[in-house]
Amino acid sequence: MLPLTNRRATRRPPTLFLLGSLALLLFLASTAAQAIPAYARQTGAACADCHAGSYGPALTPYGMRFKLGGYTDTDGQGTKIPLSMQLTETHNAPARGDSTTQLTEGDLYLAGRLTDQVGGFVKIEADHSGHNTYNTKLSNLDLRFVAKELKLVGKELLLGVSVNNSPGFNDPIGALPSASFLGPAGVTGSLLNPSSPNSLANRVIGASVYALYDSNWYGELGSYRSLPTSQQDHLGYNINGDPGRLSDTGYARFAYMKDMKRQFFSAGVVALTTRRQLPRSGPTDDLTDLGYDLTYQYLGNREHIVQLAYVNILEKRDYGSAPIVGGIAARDRGNVHDQTMSVTYTFKQSYGVTLTHFKSTGSRDPVRYGPSGDPDTTTNLISVYWTPFGKDNSYTSIANLKLAATWFRFTRFNGRENDIFFAPVGARRTDAGDLNAFSVSASIAF
Amino acid sequence: MSKLNMSHGLRLAAMATLVAAWAPAHAGDAKAGADVFKSECAECHAVKEGRNKKGPSLFGIVGRPSASVTDYAYSDALKSRQWTWTPEQLHTYLSQPAKTANPGTKMKYDGLTDAKQLDDLISYLQTLH
Repeated sequence: MLPLTNRRATRRPPTLFLLGSLALLLFLASTAAQAIPAYARQTGAACADCHAGSYGPALTPYGMRFKLGGYTDTDGQGTKIPLSMQLTETHNAPARGDSTTQLTEGDLYLAGRLTDQVGGFVKIEADHSGHNTYNTKLSNLDLRFVAKELKLVGKELLLGVSVNNSPGFNDPIGALPSASFLGPAGVTGSLLNPSSPNSLANRVIGASVYALYDSNWYGELGSYRSLPTSQQDHLGYNINGDPGRLSDTGYARFAYMKDMKRQFFSAGVVALTTRRQLPRSGPTDDLTDLGYDLTYQYLGNREHIVQLAYVNILEKRDYGSAPIVGGIAARDRGNVHDQTMSVTYTFKQSYGVTLTHFKSTGSRDPVRYGPSGDPDTTTNLISVYWTPFGKDNSYTSIANLKLAATWFRFTRFNGRENDIFFAPVGARRTDAGDLNAFSVSASIAF
Repeated sequence: MSKLNMSHGLRLAAMATLVAAWAPAHAGDAKAGADVFKSECAECHAVKEGRNKKGPSLFGIVGRPSASVTDYAYSDALKSRQWTWTPEQLHTYLSQPAKTANPGTKMKYDGLTDAKQLDDLISYLQTLH
C-alpha cells in the first residue's frame, strides 16, 4: 500500500473536499485567538502585559517569561479558578461558494498554576462541523514543571519540563508555526507546520526538558510519539489525518533572546527528526526538519508596537518507497520548504493590523503532487482587529473581546496561478484566487 | 478638622517636605517618567489603588513605608526592612538590581542605570496620589 502522500498522488482529492480543507485551515489561522482571562485573574496582570494586542496568541517578552515560568506567576491573592471560555462567531465569505455566519468555535481552557513549580494550559475545543453540530476535541496541551532561580556559574538558570502535544507549541518566543498558528497551507508542508496534511499537531504526545540561562539563552530537547488512531478518534480527531507511526523522534531548539524593555529580538534554530510510517503498515520515511527564526519587537511606551517575525523551515525527506504511477517513478528523496514572514502593528494595545506572507515550496514530483508535480503555494493573510478591553485601565479585566476582519489571498496553488486543479475540457476551472476568503469574527473570552 | 483629614494633611505635608528636599538634585520630568513606567514597571505594578499584580500597587508609593500594602504578600526580606519609600530610597533601590538592593526579595528587576530616566520615573511616581 502506498503512503498517504502517494495515494494522494494517484487519487487526487475532489476539489470540493480540498476547498473545504483549505477553508478549515484558513479559519483556524484567522481565528487562532487564544485569550485566557484565567491567567489575568491569577496574576493580576492585564491581557496587554502578555499580548501586544491585548489578545493572544502573539506574546510580549513579559508573556514569554510567564510561559517559561510554567504559567505559575501569581498576585499572591489566593487560589483562583483556572478556567476560561472563549466563543467565536464568524461570518465567512469565500470567493467561491456560499457565505456563512456561524458560531464557529467554543473553547474551554483549563489554565493556571497548581503550585509555584507546576502549571499548565489545556484547551478543549468545539468546532462547528456543519448542520448545527459541533465536534469536540482536545486541542493544545502544555503541562509544566519548573525549577526557578537556580544559579549556574553565577548566572540565573531556569529549568523546566513540558509535556505537550504539538512540537513547537510550547516555544516561548512563539514564532514557530505551532505556537503562532501561522503556517503555510498547501498540498504539503513540514512536520513543524500544523497546517500540513497529516500534521503532528495535537495527535502526538511528548516531553521536553528546557533551560533558560542568564535570561537570554534558551535550549530545549524532547521527543514525541504519535497517539494510536483509536486515541485520536476518542480525542475528537478524524483518523484520516493520522500523522502515522513515528519512531526515533527528536526535537531540539536553541535560541538567543534579548529583552531590552523597549525592544526585543531573538534568533533561534529548531530541528525535528523522525522516522514515519504513513500509513502505519507502510514503508518508513526518514524526515528531518531544520529551521531558523528571527523576531524583533519595538515596544517603546506601548503606544505603538511593531512585531516582526520570519520563520524558515526546510524539511528533508528520504522516502521508504518510490512508487511508479503511469510509468513515472516518484522521487526517492525530496524536500519541503516552509517560510512565513509576518508584521504586526498595534496602536494603544487595542487596534492592530497583521500582514503575513506564506510560502510553501518543495521538490517537483509528478507522482506525489499530481499533474503539475509542483507543490508550491503562496498565500497572504491580512487581518485588522480591535480589542477594547484587556488593559490596566479597562472597564473589566476578567473578560475580553476581539473583533477581527481577515482576508486570505492565494496567489499560487499547485505551483500555478490559474486552473490549479487541471479541469477537464468543458469543466469549470479553479484559479488560485478562487480559494480566497474574507471573514469577520467576534471572539469573547471570560 | 477631623482625625482622618488631619492625618491626610500631615501626610501631604511630610511628602511635600520629602519632595522639596529631593527636588533640587533630582528634578525629573513626570510626563517622560510615565513612559519609563510603562516600559520598566507596568507589567508587574499597577498604579490603581488596591490593584496588585505580580508586585503591589504603586499608588501612593512615595512616602509610604515599605511592605505596607495590607493585601499583598511581601517577601520576608522586604518585611524585615524598615524603609520609607522616599525619593532618595527609591533612587537607591531602583538604580541597582533588586536582589542586590534587598537580597531575598521577590522583585525581579535589573535596575535602571539611566540617571535621567530614573529621575523622570521617580517624578512620575510622586504623582500617584
